[in-house]
Amino acid sequence: MALYDPELQKAIQKIKEIDAKLVCIQLPDGMKPYAKEIEQKITQETKARVLIWLGSNFGACDIPLGLNKMKVDLLISWGHNVFHKKEGW
Amino acid sequence: MDILFLEAPFTGEVSLLPKSIKFLKDKHVKTVGLYASVQFCNNLDKVKKKLQELNIEMISSQPDRTHVSNQLLGCDNYHNSLNLPSKEQSKIEYYLYIGDGKFHPLALVYGQKDNSELKEIICNDPIGQHFQVLDYTFVKKILQKYRASLLKFLNAKEIGVLVTIKPGQEQFRPALFLEKKYPHKTFHYFIDNVISFDQLENFPFIQLWVNTACPRVGFDDQENFQKGVINLNDALMAEEILSKESILNQL
Repeated sequence: MALYDPELQKAIQKIKEIDAKLVCIQLPDGMKPYAKEIEQKITQETKARVLIWLGSNFGACDIPLGLNKMKVDLLISWGHNVFHKKEGW
Repeated sequence: MDILFLEAPFTGEVSLLPKSIKFLKDKHVKTVGLYASVQFCNNLDKVKKKLQELNIEMISSQPDRTHVSNQLLGCDNYHNSLNLPSKEQSKIEYYLYIGDGKFHPLALVYGQKDNSELKEIICNDPIGQHFQVLDYTFVKKILQKYRASLLKFLNAKEIGVLVTIKPGQEQFRPALFLEKKYPHKTFHYFIDNVISFDQLENFPFIQLWVNTACPRVGFDDQENFQKGVINLNDALMAEEILSKESILNQL
């Protein structure tokens, strides 16, 4: 993970700020092997439980569906920034 | 539910590689279009400084769907995705892409398929310290198949329209324009989360697929569509695209 800065302090700050209890982490394929480290850091520094998204992370357009049904408070998606969807092509 | 995006920026040095500099000098390049993927686009100071030293003008923009200037997404593969005025676009001699892999810079190739000439893409990879120049030859077979699918679309009667339920990619309403444009064709709408390629053959009445999800599906996943696939934007302008003097029609 040394190639990329996972900006974990920003993640932890956000979890504390909104007092998130259930957090889903979504990683691009290149960062998926580090899911354990990220999970550990979050659970050590906050009270949140972490769910690791197994599926794709093609972009900020590719947000997991159904997380609200799981009562997930926060989705943290790595490797992208805000996506400005355009209606139509 | 809140969503937090973290860019995971590259931690190493982002600069022009000696091979990139040599290429720019050897080709006497005066103007480049500068773009980068999100891990690099906020750290281009050294690249910009070097280009200034080389007296190379930088042209850039904030492409559609991106959040910051200079950022390039893989889906910026439409002819007008970059949001560049045509005057500026015409000044660009080469695109200079800062980042790794071919996925992002190939968007710049696909985005030029309807142009008469292609501006090549200089790929400067700060991670692998790799230099490469991309042109349409890297995707020639894909584009040939894509053109064949466009031709097939014009004569096909039963069309399968693929719509994803991912909110960032869902384009159902724009897909309905197909019915107005082609009243003599029948459009069947298929919804899915991630396109299930293994399910396509279960609908043998479909003659050709129109993709409305990620626009890279129409190109990069051509091999997964036995019946062929084209993207929605091109389906809406199929005749116009096929009648142009363009790279696509010269392959």
